[in-house]
Amino acid sequence: MTAVEVRGLGKAYGPVAAVTDLSFDVPPGRVTAFLGPNGAGKTTTMRMVLGLVAPDTGSATIGGVRYAGLRRPAATVGAVLDTSGFHPDHTARAHLQVYARMGGFPVRRTEEVMDLTGVTPFAGRLTRALSTGMRQRLHLATALLGDPRVLLLDEPANGLDPEGNAWLRGFLRELAAQGRAVLVSSHVLSEVEQLADRVVVIREGRLAVAGPVTDLYGDPGVLIRSPGADTLHALLPGLGEGVTVERTAEDALLVHGLPADRIAAEASAHGIPLHEITPVRPTLEQTFLDLTGGPA
Amino acid sequence: MTAFVLAEWRRLISARLWRWGVLAAICSGAFTALLALIGPENFDPPLPGLHTTEGTRVVLGLLGLLAFVPALLGTSAVAAEYRHRTITTTVLYAPRRWTPLVAKIVTFTAAGLAYGAITAAVAAAGLFTAAAAKGVTLGLPAGEVLGLLARIAVTMGVYTLLGVGFGALLRNQVAALVVLGSYFYVVETALMLVPGVNTLYPYLPGGATAALTGFTYLADAVAAQTGGAAGALLPAPLGGAVLVGYAALAALAAVAVSLRRDIT
Repeated sequence: MTAVEVRGLGKAYGPVAAVTDLSFDVPPGRVTAFLGPNGAGKTTTMRMVLGLVAPDTGSATIGGVRYAGLRRPAATVGAVLDTSGFHPDHTARAHLQVYARMGGFPVRRTEEVMDLTGVTPFAGRLTRALSTGMRQRLHLATALLGDPRVLLLDEPANGLDPEGNAWLRGFLRELAAQGRAVLVSSHVLSEVEQLADRVVVIREGRLAVAGPVTDLYGDPGVLIRSPGADTLHALLPGLGEGVTVERTAEDALLVHGLPADRIAAEASAHGIPLHEITPVRPTLEQTFLDLTGGPA
Repeated sequence: MTAFVLAEWRRLISARLWRWGVLAAICSGAFTALLALIGPENFDPPLPGLHTTEGTRVVLGLLGLLAFVPALLGTSAVAAEYRHRTITTTVLYAPRRWTPLVAKIVTFTAAGLAYGAITAAVAAAGLFTAAAAKGVTLGLPAGEVLGLLARIAVTMGVYTLLGVGFGALLRNQVAALVVLGSYFYVVETALMLVPGVNTLYPYLPGGATAALTGFTYLADAVAAQTGGAAGALLPAPLGGAVLVGYAALAALAAVAVSLRRDIT
């Protein structure tokens, strides 16, 4: 199974560090979201993985091999980069035919990828006349020509309408379900929230968090409202290791590290009435903003 | 490598540029026919007529000056990869960055030779037709005219190669055109006036071109003006080889630079 391994990757442009000591994996069979605000170093990282930009430190390998050392790169990795373009005089089909030849793929493969990505309806149109959404589909078709096991997509949802976005989500999940390693970068969390199994979040070129999406939700807490808030505030931390109690209002506490039933039983045992007891989960959006240093 | 050449060929014929190339080749050939119809004796200043060796050579030599057109087309085609940012996809498909450049060189040299062949064919037809129409016998035997035209055709192929080499190096069509154009029309002429440098002339691009096309009007004129003897030119094949060498240097430099250059 082919996976992408990024180890200690670093790149500076003059005094500006774009990426610093970045390590993460893109495992096969999963969609990994690569998240971070604009300018966090996502594109630079992907370009280093693809051998377009030479890293100052560290390495990035695909199935254990650097991109430049791949025997058949286009049949191993498919990439969509936001800065790549098309010759304006080429039709969508001609563009794919050029690269099918370059990759040594059969020319009928161009028709297959056009069907897969929905390019067929505008196959004969000049690329200069394509909408942003059509261009994204054509980029995706180009990336898929070699039926690669790894897909690296930089902001592939840019310019897609909601319908196109829903299609893209389903399509990428299907590609991952076929055992491919899929990395999708985005600066918009909601774009990948329903798509990704795993997330890699970077902030100012450094890893903020990497792991399953569920990790991003953070610890669930329990919100309680009680006239005996003071007593509970003193009582609850003694009930276990790592229990934290935070006062959010005069009569309200946010408890971490204790399940709701334990809290209810404890309050009941001390005869403290509870007016509200609610398990709470921070929203993914809030966690993302906390991690990436955006507005709270 | 075959796959890369096929891809470059497909890239070339899928865009409109090649049609402009064919048109430019036909027009270049027709230009010769027009010059022949006007007749060098009616040029300003008048030159020997078509019935003289010099007259026929002048008309063919002026065609040789149009070799910069396919060079420009070659430059355009290579620079287009950067202008339209298809270079990213190309490098992803070919991380060993010299391979697509070599494929381009092969493809465009073939295209340049085809360009030269079309130009030479149209020019030959035009020249013989014009001579017949004017009732003049050309100052050179037909075999020699065709030989000179073949040399011009080869020159155009080599110049396309030069254009590709410089286009890949400079990556900007206008910059490459300015560099090549100013070199041939200004710098080299100026260099010839520097004492001593003119002995190198046979090895400079202009001298090598003159050797290849067999057109020495410029060299002779400079020699006459400076009072020096026109330097002996290299044999045509050697002149061609010198030009190919310059193109190869440009291509090597382009590869060396692009290997280190980040693509962003």
